[in-house]
Amino acid sequence: MFEMDGEMDKKKKKKKKINKKEKMEGMKKEMDIVSKRQTPQGFRGLTSAFAAQVLERDGPNELKPPKGTPEYVKFARQLAGGLQCLMWVAACICFIAFGIELARGNVTCFDNLYLAITLIAVVVVTGCFGYYQEFKSTNIIASFKNLVPQQAIVIRDGQKNQINAHQLVVGDLVEIKGGDGIPADIRIITSQACKVDNSSLTGESEPQTRTPECTHENPLETRNIAFFSTTCMEGTVTTGMIINTGDRTIIGRIATLASGVGNEKTPIAIEIEHFVDIIAGLAIFFGFTFFVVAMFIGYAFLEAMIFFMAIVVAYVPEGLLATVTVCLSLTAKRLARKNCVVKNLEAVETLGSTSVICSDKTGTLTQNRMTVAHLWFDNHIHAADTTEDQSGKSFDQSSETWRSLARVASLCNRATFRPDQEGVPIPKRLVVGDASETALLKFTELTVGNIVDYRERFKKAVELPFNSTNKFQVSIHELDDPLDLRYLLVMKGAPERILERCSTILIKGQELPLDEQWSEAFQTAYMDLGGLGERVLGFCHLHLNEKEYPRGCPFDPDEMNFPTSGLCFAGLISMIDPPRATVPDAVMKCRTAGIRVVMVTGDHPITARAIAANVGIITEGSETVEDIAQRKRIPVEQVNKRDARACVISGGQLKDMSSDELDEALRSHPEMVFARTSPQQKLIIVESCQRLGSIVAVTGDGVNDSPALKKADIGVAMGIAGSDAAKNAADMILLDDNFASIVTGVEQGRLIFDNLKKSIAYTLTKNIPELTPYLIYITVSVPLPLGCITILFIELATDIYPSVSLAYEKAESDIMNLKPRNPRQHRLVNEALAVYSYFQIGAIQSYAGFTDYFAAMAQEGWFPLLCVGLRPQWEDVHLQDLQDSYGQEWTFSQRLYQQYTCYTVFFVSIEICQISDVLIRKTRRLSVFQQGFFRNRVLVSAIVFQLLLGNLLCYCPGMPNIFNFMPIRVQWWFVPVPYGILIFVYDEIRKLGVRRFPGSWWDQELYY
Amino acid sequence: MPSNKDDGGWKKFLWDSEKGELLGRTGGSWFKIIAFYIVFYGCLAGIFIGTIQALLLTVSNYKPTWQDRVAPPGLSHTPRSEKSEVFYNRNDPETYLPYTKALRNFLAKYGEELQRDQMKFEDCGVDPAEYKNRGDLESDIGIRKACRFSRSLMGPCSGTEDPDFGFKDGTPCLIVKLNRVVNFLPKPPSSNESIPEEAQPKVQPNVVPIYCTNKREEDAGKIGEIKYYGIGAGFPLQYYPYYGKLLHPHYLQPLVALQFTNLTMNTDLRIECKVFGDNIMYSDKDRYQGRFDVKFSITSL
Repeated sequence: MFEMDGEMDKKKKKKKKINKKEKMEGMKKEMDIVSKRQTPQGFRGLTSAFAAQVLERDGPNELKPPKGTPEYVKFARQLAGGLQCLMWVAACICFIAFGIELARGNVTCFDNLYLAITLIAVVVVTGCFGYYQEFKSTNIIASFKNLVPQQAIVIRDGQKNQINAHQLVVGDLVEIKGGDGIPADIRIITSQACKVDNSSLTGESEPQTRTPECTHENPLETRNIAFFSTTCMEGTVTTGMIINTGDRTIIGRIATLASGVGNEKTPIAIEIEHFVDIIAGLAIFFGFTFFVVAMFIGYAFLEAMIFFMAIVVAYVPEGLLATVTVCLSLTAKRLARKNCVVKNLEAVETLGSTSVICSDKTGTLTQNRMTVAHLWFDNHIHAADTTEDQSGKSFDQSSETWRSLARVASLCNRATFRPDQEGVPIPKRLVVGDASETALLKFTELTVGNIVDYRERFKKAVELPFNSTNKFQVSIHELDDPLDLRYLLVMKGAPERILERCSTILIKGQELPLDEQWSEAFQTAYMDLGGLGERVLGFCHLHLNEKEYPRGCPFDPDEMNFPTSGLCFAGLISMIDPPRATVPDAVMKCRTAGIRVVMVTGDHPITARAIAANVGIITEGSETVEDIAQRKRIPVEQVNKRDARACVISGGQLKDMSSDELDEALRSHPEMVFARTSPQQKLIIVESCQRLGSIVAVTGDGVNDSPALKKADIGVAMGIAGSDAAKNAADMILLDDNFASIVTGVEQGRLIFDNLKKSIAYTLTKNIPELTPYLIYITVSVPLPLGCITILFIELATDIYPSVSLAYEKAESDIMNLKPRNPRQHRLVNEALAVYSYFQIGAIQSYAGFTDYFAAMAQEGWFPLLCVGLRPQWEDVHLQDLQDSYGQEWTFSQRLYQQYTCYTVFFVSIEICQISDVLIRKTRRLSVFQQGFFRNRVLVSAIVFQLLLGNLLCYCPGMPNIFNFMPIRVQWWFVPVPYGILIFVYDEIRKLGVRRFPGSWWDQELYY
Repeated sequence: MPSNKDDGGWKKFLWDSEKGELLGRTGGSWFKIIAFYIVFYGCLAGIFIGTIQALLLTVSNYKPTWQDRVAPPGLSHTPRSEKSEVFYNRNDPETYLPYTKALRNFLAKYGEELQRDQMKFEDCGVDPAEYKNRGDLESDIGIRKACRFSRSLMGPCSGTEDPDFGFKDGTPCLIVKLNRVVNFLPKPPSSNESIPEEAQPKVQPNVVPIYCTNKREEDAGKIGEIKYYGIGAGFPLQYYPYYGKLLHPHYLQPLVALQFTNLTMNTDLRIECKVFGDNIMYSDKDRYQGRFDVKFSITSL
């Protein structure tokens, strides 16, 4: 068993403290009673009153849920991002402006108030939306929690009571039997063939025996302590005294270790933060520059402030965070359909950038159940079918020897199926019995047929169960042939012990003397199977002499009045916890996707290595240092470590390694297996990978994995086999425990990264045509071409759906054949993307907007040159007869409606250009014609939606006075169309250049 | 985007002496990218100017393409006032000087001496008459003559006899005009239905009548008599249509002078003036379309 390093000492101290019972007078008395009366029936346990006292002191026996962030803090965080803060500032400026206007007695001007409220509403609504998304995904997890409280049988006041496990206290005596969960850390006082499954705690797949004897200094290694949250697999009544409850249990301490590990920021969060900072910085920069310019030109301070606010509103992509959230949650939904539930939305992308997967073995890569893997009979190793659904190839079952071996395996087996499981496939049925007997039972049920019937036919006369001194198990049966009155003795056990007792060996149905040659063959087979990391059992039988042992012969298991030597050896059967069928393929896919899979397990190195080789973590032909040494017949020290692709490091070795050595090992061996690792060491391995610059995914199911799950960039827990601790620490849960789902996750993660890039590029583009009207308005003093409210409509209404629809875009190339992105080089928003969106496409869109603006102005009577410098008169509320280019006189309100008309035509221009923009954003490299115009149905419907919404805003009655939209003339919709075509053609030329001349100046500057 | 991983990151980004990079680019790289953008923006600006030119070709110099925003016309008055208020102390000339000055400036272009040129002006009669058609907008007749409109028609409000336009005596004048709209022909009311009873006597042929009254119920009786000066005490039709700035450079639009002869002093009075016509509309949102209201507050202390 592993050591808990620092934990161990603490644990020892604690144990001593409890043993001393310094403060607990009452307990001492109870202990005296316990030590005086040796029979379990005599245990009186604690008194209820004392138990209540201790309960009050120690608190209930449950793991404190990890301290979550309070809900209001989560919500406040949604409201206080970089962009949100800017919008708060803008809203404040609006309020101040409105206040000043109001103080001046200008009651008519409600625009600023209106805008302030809209801005706040935008922040709050997007905040609520983000919060809701987060809340929803955390909620999925809450539903996993087992709500049924665990029950425990406790002895108090000399009476057995069944109470809620939460009520247990230190010193309580509890009774456990097979199938129960261990309710706290307990020291075994009496036991009978008790075995516990520690796999969730240590990763060992085999059940561990528990006896009252203390066998080891280390509490984790000793046999007399059973741990909270593990299960008792078998054994009749076992009594134990509770030594630790709640958070002080081993599992509680691992949980504390996990919660002590800080949550790493997800790569996508870093990316988003990175570019939000840039956007916010630029917004303030632009705003401030034009504030200064405005002051310089001679605007009043208040006006300049309003300009600042307007520029912030125009420049900040208000809808972007909502878009990103929706895109991520769409992918999360898509993943959920494929049985990957994402707890933290941002984790969706993390898998895509993952470069190392540290996978636990038991339950993740393997099925977490012993299965018969190989048989040796007739001097051949036969492979059994280990797939979960029995779809694999079976071996040749025609040999007579096989029939004998199967008979021994079926009869010499105490395991039975639980009743009422006829409908359940055999590998999934529940069995009473230990792991190897279970494996054999299922194996024989599958190969021989109905074992219950079979055992009926061979009536059992006597049985000697397995014990650790004999290391074999024997039973004697009548034969199914009523005429054959001989008894059949069947025996199984440790192969070398079985062989000792045999004098003959069954080959092709013939009993041959067991000579040197066969002995050697046996040894070779035994070594081969052992080398595969499998647990090997030997089987033999003997037909008892009819005369010596007639029917009704009184066999006595204690005296063993039957022969136990000179038997006939039937064969070997080896078992292993086999890998899941889908795993090798998934590991292969990870490899092609440039992701390294590292196995980190608590299990034995040999088993770990065998499984690693089996699933492809160690590829065929890869050798470890030890292998090379063996092959070249040289000492291990002389082997050049660089030659070894593979490396198996056990926890013991790891303890002696410095972090630099570990880094070096990870660097030099591409194929790594870590065995016998403690939770802390898993953490160290993850940290080491992260130091090397990798984005690390950790998969695991056990409690021992939870600190590493938390530390990883993305923790993936198993949904069925996974413990609650693992699920809590993880960011993603595989509902079907299928490692292959990770590959889907990687693919979706990479796709969403690419698509987010497109979405963001699309969203950023329109900020320029939103910003330029203000800049022109301030510097050239034309009537305002585009209002703040209209901008908000573009940002938050019409353009949201198209930008989200880009998340449905198919991948442009085979993304699973690329290397994972380098988080330092491949940014979500890079310079090329921003520059191309802002200064090229955005510029074209601005020109489109101004063309349409000047068209609408000129056709209504305001020629472009007249517009220049017109602003002061145009905005004079009291000037009711301003002359246009034809000498017509306009009242203020008429001019205002004309201004709204301009807003609307500018809006329409941006919309038309954005339709072109969304089409070009479908691809970054391929031509849109190659990608297909209509393959993304959502995008097509988004364009239709955008047009319909645009029309609704323009032509719905009442819009002019509510949202400043005017019903504009139809021909103004077509003015920006040539610019839309220009955008499309220009981008096709760009993509053509990028495809034709990779690595050229064009490619470098224009590929984003 | 720049990365500022280490402390020297920004400085190095600004000027990297090793690679000779300024802001992350070498001189050659800067040259290329700047050249690219010059060409790019040059082309864009060319396209933009071309489109605007093409657009202007489609727009007539004489006839506005659309007039849906400017018609029906607004009704504006001189002097203009902050917050639609005429607020002064009749004993303190300083307080009403801006008003009288505005009136004088406004009426300056209606001076008779400016209207003598027979090539530019013609008499259109002192009585209301039919619309005076001077040909199509787009025809090549060229510049059209304008009807004379003498400021003397304004009577006491003409400013010739009373340079204070009655402000000093507490009988202030307002001069009202119907906003110019090219080719717009105001139609006198065809029925009396939409016109308040008191205003009905003002209806006469070929005149778009104007009528002012108290806006609020409580001001009834405090307004006193309002005198209307001008041709037919309204807007006579022979001054329409207007042919636009280019074809009708000397156009004088008909005016109506309002003199409030008996306003109650030392109180706020709200007066609303409306013109009535079949194609003159009012709007809730535009308080100057076909009407206006003004607040008088004259102190005599």
